[in-house]
Amino acid sequence: MLPSPNRRARESEERFADGETIVREGEHGREMYVIQSGRVEITKRIGGEEVQLAVLEKGDFFGEMGLLESLPRDANARAIGPTSLLVINAGGLLVRIRRDPTFAFEMLHRLSGRIRQLNKRLADEHAERDASVSAADASLLYGGGEGGEDS
Amino acid sequence: MQIATKSDRMLVISDLHIGNPYSLAKRNLGGFLRYCREAGWDLCINGDGLEILQASFGVLARDALDIMTGLQELVRAGRRVFYVIGNHDIALEHLLQTSLASAICPFLNVTSGESRVRVEHGHLYDPSFVKHPVLYETLTRLAGPVLDWYPDIYKAWTGYQKMKDRWTRKRARSDLEASVYYEAADRILRRGFDAVIFGHTHAAEQVELLPGKVYVNSGNWLRGTSYVAIDHGRVYLASWKQDGPPEA
Repeated sequence: MLPSPNRRARESEERFADGETIVREGEHGREMYVIQSGRVEITKRIGGEEVQLAVLEKGDFFGEMGLLESLPRDANARAIGPTSLLVINAGGLLVRIRRDPTFAFEMLHRLSGRIRQLNKRLADEHAERDASVSAADASLLYGGGEGGEDS
Repeated sequence: MQIATKSDRMLVISDLHIGNPYSLAKRNLGGFLRYCREAGWDLCINGDGLEILQASFGVLARDALDIMTGLQELVRAGRRVFYVIGNHDIALEHLLQTSLASAICPFLNVTSGESRVRVEHGHLYDPSFVKHPVLYETLTRLAGPVLDWYPDIYKAWTGYQKMKDRWTRKRARSDLEASVYYEAADRILRRGFDAVIFGHTHAAEQVELLPGKVYVNSGNWLRGTSYVAIDHGRVYLASWKQDGPPEA
């Protein structure tokens, strides 16, 4: 069944071959993507090295940060195997949320999960830093440092 | 709030309307829950399991007791019970969460085998519910005492719905125009789902909207006994028979 003409103007479907780049870090883009079939690898250059952040599956979405904030892409996205994507632009997102409200719920659910993960990572890093500071303080106090036996 | 799960074997039923004087769910459901427990199926009640818009709390408490016990036995046997909220039981969300001791969801994305299946009540796509929510609720509430006095009035309502449905389908220029639920399911299917299961309309049906992708309506247990099986990724509509195994 073909999509209606109105929908085609706001949303489109695109296919990518294995290994083909979908979005590049630093590029400007105003679309987000939903994986209809296939898989997508998300990578980011960190310290000159390309690090894999995630492998997304059918039903997952990405690129929403570029759409919502109009900022350059934060990471690369590459197809793993033949991949089909639903491409949504800003106007299309509003229409979709109006007609498919659970999509907004799923996006908020995912973003909420990411904030929770980041908060946890931040708390863990703080705890780790505090623990190492305490250990350093203790070694200073109790002479755990190099040549500290006389102190 | 849980909105996703993995399950190789799940049965989906909807629109039991327990507490409604016209509902036969209380009579038919015991055997079905036993079958779920013994054959090792998870269960999802896809909205309007309990009736609070058209029934008093006293009647609901009386009628729901056996079914709640059956659901708890299912949970104790290691099966999972999910409850998707519909429009007739939305006020009971918190009560269900504490009494049923399983997941209460606004909708549920089920991964089964290689398939992704959306289970949702479907009232969000009902034009009457969306455009005139206050009128919709008022009329639904008013229908409660009428049903209590003359339960067969439900037949007149379903007859009107079927006539309206036939008229809409006759005038439709495409499959998508034939039903607002087909259009809603089509949108969801394009987001990487293989099947969409709604309830709400009480009309059990299965339609292939996109190649290999289906829309299924789980029908009702008010007067019917239809259900949808999700079996290792395969999704099909079936009908429960008290005296034999379920048939696809």
